[in-house]
Amino acid sequence: MLDLLSPTLLLTALTLASIYALIALGLNLIYGTLRLLNVAHGEVMMVGAYLSYWMHVMWGVGTLASVFLVILVTGFLGWVCYRTLFSKMDRYPALAARMESNSLLIFFALAVIAQNLGVLAFSADPRSYQYLQDIVHVAGISVTLNRLVILAGSVLVVAFVLFFFRRGLNGMAIRALIQNQDAASLIGINIDRMKTVVFCAGFALAGLAGSLISMTESITPFSGFPYTMAAFVVIILGGLGSIVGGVLGALLLAGIEVYGSALTSPAYRSILLYGVFIVILFIRPQGLLGRRVA
Amino acid sequence: MKRLIACLSLCAAAAIPLSSAHAAEPVRIGMGFPFTGAYAAPATDPLQAFRLWVDQVNDKGGLEVEGERRPIELVTYDDQSDPAKTVAVYEKLITDDKVDLLLSPWGAPSHFAVVGTLERYGFPVVGSTASSLQIRDLKAQNIWFPTSSIPDQQAEAVVSFLKAQGATKVALSTVQLGYAQESRRMMLAALKKGGIEVVLDREYAPGIQDMTPIVSEIKRANPDAVLSMSYQADGILYLRAAREQGLTTPIQYVLLGATAAYFKKMFGPNLDGILAMGHWSPEKSDWPGAREFADAYKQRYGDEPDYLGSTLAYMSAQVLEQAVAKVGLDKDKLREAIATSEFSTINGPVRFDGVANAVTPSMILQQQNGTTQIVWPPEVATADFEKRTGWAN
Repeated sequence: MLDLLSPTLLLTALTLASIYALIALGLNLIYGTLRLLNVAHGEVMMVGAYLSYWMHVMWGVGTLASVFLVILVTGFLGWVCYRTLFSKMDRYPALAARMESNSLLIFFALAVIAQNLGVLAFSADPRSYQYLQDIVHVAGISVTLNRLVILAGSVLVVAFVLFFFRRGLNGMAIRALIQNQDAASLIGINIDRMKTVVFCAGFALAGLAGSLISMTESITPFSGFPYTMAAFVVIILGGLGSIVGGVLGALLLAGIEVYGSALTSPAYRSILLYGVFIVILFIRPQGLLGRRVA
Repeated sequence: MKRLIACLSLCAAAAIPLSSAHAAEPVRIGMGFPFTGAYAAPATDPLQAFRLWVDQVNDKGGLEVEGERRPIELVTYDDQSDPAKTVAVYEKLITDDKVDLLLSPWGAPSHFAVVGTLERYGFPVVGSTASSLQIRDLKAQNIWFPTSSIPDQQAEAVVSFLKAQGATKVALSTVQLGYAQESRRMMLAALKKGGIEVVLDREYAPGIQDMTPIVSEIKRANPDAVLSMSYQADGILYLRAAREQGLTTPIQYVLLGATAAYFKKMFGPNLDGILAMGHWSPEKSDWPGAREFADAYKQRYGDEPDYLGSTLAYMSAQVLEQAVAKVGLDKDKLREAIATSEFSTINGPVRFDGVANAVTPSMILQQQNGTTQIVWPPEVATADFEKRTGWAN
């Protein structure tokens, strides 16, 4: 039997939670605010991952530097995507009413296109590289440096996003928009601009997550989908649109995965994960910190 | 108008010698492979090996059919990583495209899925990337499996290796996926028969995100050897956790993936000493074309082949090529030739007994200074086994 109090297990759970929290963040923004079901989230992550990979392989640029370029590029992709596909739909009430279900189809198409463009451009061969591979020893635990970087990066980014929504003027404007779009518009909030900002931020955060994860995982044009699934589980568990809820969801999932597996058997991983997921939705359909829909 | 007619007649005149130079009708070879979906990534190397073979044969002037060289025209379809679609693709290739020959699909599920179709049309196909205990029970007439790593014989090879190294305590961790599960089952039986104690036997669900807890348990069990029955994704997790935990077990066997180019890029010198399932190495100088295949592959694609799937794909094409050279394109003669002849491949001589490879022994590969060597069994080894002493960094 494993020592459940071992710091190694704790750190494992925390690094895993940080990955879950990070990949859920961008999806949460876009779904929570705009009600757009971005099933191409994982593919945006892969764009970020490939950019970091090529920057490293071609020019020796480290991921910690290339991540800023990734944020710009994926943010710009978000801008293009929103402007060409979604902002116009908002102007037609009939289309706007069906936006959520239509977005699912649009993003699904985008995901398929992105995967196949990826195969044409890079082939489906898995890619990997070595970056920050040194082992560091913290409080008697050995861990690869890049995993600590992901943990730290995730904490920083989540903290920044939280701060932005709590204190930043734009953040508050977005929260107003979530609560009531018409009222927000009446008090002078530029709805269209705010939506564009959120959409770009969602894409940029997905790119950032993909870039950081490329340090530890192999990437292929098809490896985005499992991340999309994980991100959806996290935000549904935490409560749609709630950043803190997303963090809680990530901690819970990672906790179940690491401690649940240690207590029972890693063979029960999926049963435990989705079992708890269903039980929580049964008790709290709106998620841990989600608002009850009136 | 005059000028146009002159131009056209000139073109026509130019085309006449051209068409007579290409009098040989192309041989149409069909294939359904996962270009998209979950299997697209692991199928890339075998696909590239097939394409390399086609181009090499065409560079020589074409496929030799009854003394004449005819260019190969490859007809491919995406099976979308879905064995049910593979069947539809092969059915279409046979009945609609009316191809002359077929190359194998990718992966055991697709191989077994198309068996019925091949039997119905009596269309012989040399399989490639499939290894499973199911091969033992298959009574098909039109498919053959060049693999030598069917779980039962592979387990015996591993156990004889472990005994030769004096290992008495073994820890197993197994992913809950087909080939790994069959391997575990056969391995446990072979270990019991060989009198080797199993000190830990853990299974885990596919999609696992971290193997630190399992590796901690392995470390605590302090075995002489670790058998990680993993696929590619969890193989990475095992190696990463083993390195972080400083697992210094001298014998560490990783089932799949460890010979792929991207593993080497990810782990670098830390991969040295890791053992892997496989039955080919370019270091084996008495296998004709082994080194040449590795070099040509690397030159064309920039990376090394994966040592398993790409080898199987290439050798299956070689078997087909030699059988066609011998008897032509007639399906009945081809079936007879494949079933009874011996072939010279980059993996050494191959002959089939039923549907299984009757010649190539099961082997164990080891990474040594960035190269992949065969270390077991001794009669085909290219290097001596080196015990792992620790992690490079």
